[in-house]
This record gives sequence, structure tokens and C-alpha cells, in this order.
Amino acid sequence: MDKVMNMQEAIARFVKPGSTLFLAGMQHGEPSAAIHEIIRQKIGHLTLVSCLVTTSNLLIGEGLINKMVTAYMQQDEKRSYSMRKARETGRYPVFEEYSHFGVSLALLAGQMGIPFIPARCQAGSDMPKYNPNLATVACPFTGETVVAVRAIVPDTGIIHVQRADAEGNAQKWGTMGVDIEGINASRTVIVTTEKIVDADVIRRDPNRTIIPCFRVSAVVEQPWGAHPMHLAGCYSGDMWGFYGETGRPEGYQSYVDNLVYGVRDWEEYLKKRAEMKPPGYFEGFKIKAVKSEPITTGYEESQHEP
Amino acid sequence: MNHSSQGEYSAADQMVVAGAHEIKDEDVVYVGLGLPFLSALLANYTHAPGCTIIIENGIIRTTGFPLPAATDTLGSQMMANQLTGLFYINCLGQAGYINAGFIGAGQVDRHGNVNDTVAGDYRNPSHRWPGSGGANDVMSFCKRTIVMLRQNRRRFPEKVDFVTCPGYLDGTKGRREAVGLPAGTGPALVITDLACYEFIDREMVVKSVHCAAGVTLDRVKAEVGWDIKVSAGILDTVPPTDEEIKILRERVDPQQIWVGGKRRPPDQD
Repeated sequence: MDKVMNMQEAIARFVKPGSTLFLAGMQHGEPSAAIHEIIRQKIGHLTLVSCLVTTSNLLIGEGLINKMVTAYMQQDEKRSYSMRKARETGRYPVFEEYSHFGVSLALLAGQMGIPFIPARCQAGSDMPKYNPNLATVACPFTGETVVAVRAIVPDTGIIHVQRADAEGNAQKWGTMGVDIEGINASRTVIVTTEKIVDADVIRRDPNRTIIPCFRVSAVVEQPWGAHPMHLAGCYSGDMWGFYGETGRPEGYQSYVDNLVYGVRDWEEYLKKRAEMKPPGYFEGFKIKAVKSEPITTGYEESQHEP
Repeated sequence: MNHSSQGEYSAADQMVVAGAHEIKDEDVVYVGLGLPFLSALLANYTHAPGCTIIIENGIIRTTGFPLPAATDTLGSQMMANQLTGLFYINCLGQAGYINAGFIGAGQVDRHGNVNDTVAGDYRNPSHRWPGSGGANDVMSFCKRTIVMLRQNRRRFPEKVDFVTCPGYLDGTKGRREAVGLPAGTGPALVITDLACYEFIDREMVVKSVHCAAGVTLDRVKAEVGWDIKVSAGILDTVPPTDEEIKILRERVDPQQIWVGGKRRPPDQD
């Protein structure tokens, strides 16, 4: 089934107020275009599960996040204007804190369909005291102490990939962060992709598929969909530029006014982003492509006698 | 700035070089953002070309790479031996296959417990750091964890307000194992801009002072929040060689991203 739709429709149909949202892209290929659209549609009261998703700052600054399930985020309001703005508007999220592996394991347990998973990280730390979804239990076989990490099953997961077919078979390469467990744990999946490719492109390299089509609800073709982050094989990024711009009040406000609320979609964003920057801004992210040797798949040409 | 025989080096240079000296050729090293990256690259380009560098986003490599301004960049991904995810990386750690780890820290205390979370009350903190990130995983799993941070009394309290990464906890023998941490792990060394510290009977002691950089033991002790013991065999920290400074400047960090102070990892602020 063809699941191709535009970003506006995908977000409106599959991201609900008050739901738990997983955003893929741990510093690599985050779904920035989708994040901008969630803000335009003002879908709020979200619980956000993510690790190092740079542009998720905007969701917090715009007051759309009730709870952050994460391991690392700049919470010093002198350094993060989005945090300060959330505080000033009474929309500061509750933080549920793990280690990075802790978040990964919670999502893995979700992907596996089990209630919790034992771990040796976070043991002896103060995180379990304040995070009700971490507990200490005895191993039923050896009696040794382990940390139980409760499963997380996000209502919706969004991932940006290099290529997918129209049905949703999605392929991403480069570092995977918490993408595989996060997107596979999510009940409903939105795939945004640099390029929609023919299904046979996927099928000639099926090991690269990280989620199969029957688990995917929407496919959105969105070139430059991870900007200002980098995406392997596609473009480099401007993470520090983004932090520098949005870390200060005037820069932040100009960013959301012009580049989120001031545009209708990502195509308009890209145009306006280029206009606000010195000439050649996007050309500066072009990469020197390195091709890998293609792998060979295939099947028997002739049958041996049984 | 201090003058070595032929050039200048900074306290940050000394930290990086002291960190690099801790990496052996056969080591598998899990590195966090900032100065640890420089230490790993310097080691890889000098005495430890065979070391394996592991980055939490999912990068495993035995060759150097352009110094990243974040843990994951196209440069740190490019020509890796393996690209995978955070889950896989930490399985290697949890199962005991990573022998050295490097982390930054907000604060570190007498027993090597690291706080990257809050000063004061958790619900109403007087200061907020960004949180564990991968630091708890590194400190929980690696055979030897090396903590790198700039030193002052505020950052060296006798007891941290919040244990983000457990060191030796209350210092009792066997306490790490009792709470569920893998045996044979824990903080091994703390490297600051003033000195290096080791752990004797699970308590931090002064191992070496950056004397060549003009630091004195009195100054070191003044920037520790308890009456710190000094190792019986206290040394001068081995200063950077000309060759190390040259490689650091020309090859590891030619744009002076970290050492030059253009960027500092948020967890070290």
C-alpha cells in the first residue's frame, strides 16, 4: 500500500496531543522537518523520548513538552533560552532521567514486547531514586542485584532516513544512535526520507532496511529533512550554528517567527533559511561522496540434481 | 601558558597529554566529548596506533579522524571499522570488552563519584548540569575510567549532592559489586588542569602535580574540598614533549577547536 503523504498530513494524522513521541536521530539525521511541523500545528502536552536530538529544543521552548524522557540535555537556563522560555511561560517539562544506555534499553524492552529489562548501568547512581521507571531487583537465578529498566512503548515514532520506498520499507546508514530500538518500539511510525526510491532498490540491499513496511503508517519525501544536522552520504550539518542562533533570546525568537511559524512547509523553510544566511550556505554542506563496493545478492541459475 | 623547551603549552594541553599517556596500544577506549577525544587521537597518532576508539553514537574505529565538534559527525563516522548504534556499543561495555573509558564531569568527590546532574536539591537545584548522557554507562562498565575536568573547590566536594556516575560510593570495599556494578570496574584516574589523582583503597589521592606548568602541591590542595591525601610516591606529571605538542597542534586539533577554547563540552562548564 502506498503511504506517501505530505508532512502536514502525516503529522496531523499520527501525532496526537498528550501522546508519547519518540524522535530518532541521535546527532545524526534527526527529523527536523517533522519537528517544525509539530510546532506549526501546536501539538502539545507531549512526552518526548529522545537522545541528543538538537532541534527538540524548539519543542520545549514552544511549550509543547510535558515530560522529557532522556539522558542528556542542557538544562542550565543561563545557557539555553528554550529552557528559560519554557520556565517563563510555565511550560517547563518534568525530566525523567536515565543514562543513554538506560534509554536504549527501555526502548529495546518496548521493541521486544517485555515489561522490563535487567541492566548493570545506573546501578548505585541516584537516578533510580527520582526515576520511577528504574528499580533494583534480584536476579532470580543468581540473586545478584540488577537494575530493572521499565519498557517504553512510544505512541508515535518519527525517523528521517536516506531512502525508503512508497510502502515504508526504510533504510538508514551511518551511526544509528537509538534509532533501531526506538522506531521499532513505537506503535505508529512516520518515516521521512531524503528520497522515495523504487521498491526494487530496497530489495537489492535488504539488510539495510531497519523497519519493514507493515510497521510504517506514513512516508514523507523530504529532501534536507534533517538540516541543520548532518546525514551520512547526503550532507554535513550546522549544529553549532543552530545552537548559537537559538541559544540567545533574540536569535531564538527570530528563528521560530521566521523559520517555523513564518513558513508553510519545509520547502519554504529551506528557501528562507538560505535567504537569512550568507550566499552559498547550503552549498557549504555538500559532501565529497565515497562509494562503497556494492554487495551481491542473487539466486541459483540452475538446479543441482537432488 | 607555560614554556616547554621549545614552545608553549596550556593546562588543557597537559590534561590531554596526561590522558593520552594512559592509553596503551592494545586498549579499547570508550571516549566522551571534548578533551578525551584529543587524548585518544593523540595516543592513536603517537604511541598507541593500534588502540580502538569507541564513540557512543555507534562508532568503532582504529584509525584517526578529523576532530569532531560533537561526538557524531561525518568525519568521526567516515572510514570507521564498524558503524552501529548506542545499544551495540554499550553491550560491548556491559559484557566487559572495553578496558578504558574517558569522561568529563561536573563534580567529582573523595571516592570518585561523579555528579553531572544537580548541585543542591534535585527538585530545586542551585545548579543544573545536562545529566549523564553516556557517562554513567562508561563509569559503570569500563575496567578503568579516567575522569577529566578543570579543578576548583566547588568541583571537588568531599561528597557530591547527586551520584550520576558511581565511583567507589561510600568507599567501602565491595560496595560497587553489591549495588550491581560489574566487578573490576571503576574510576582509576582523575586528570585536572592542576594534577593527576589515583585511587588508593577507593579514595582519591594526589598522584602527580603539573609542576612543569608551575603548579604547586599547596595550590592543588587548596582546590580540593577535603583534606586530600598525597600518594607516598608523588611525582611531577610528565610534561608534554615537543613532539606531542606538535602533533596536537598540527594533526589532532589544527583548528584549535577544543584546546584553543573555541568549544568546551557542556558537561565541563
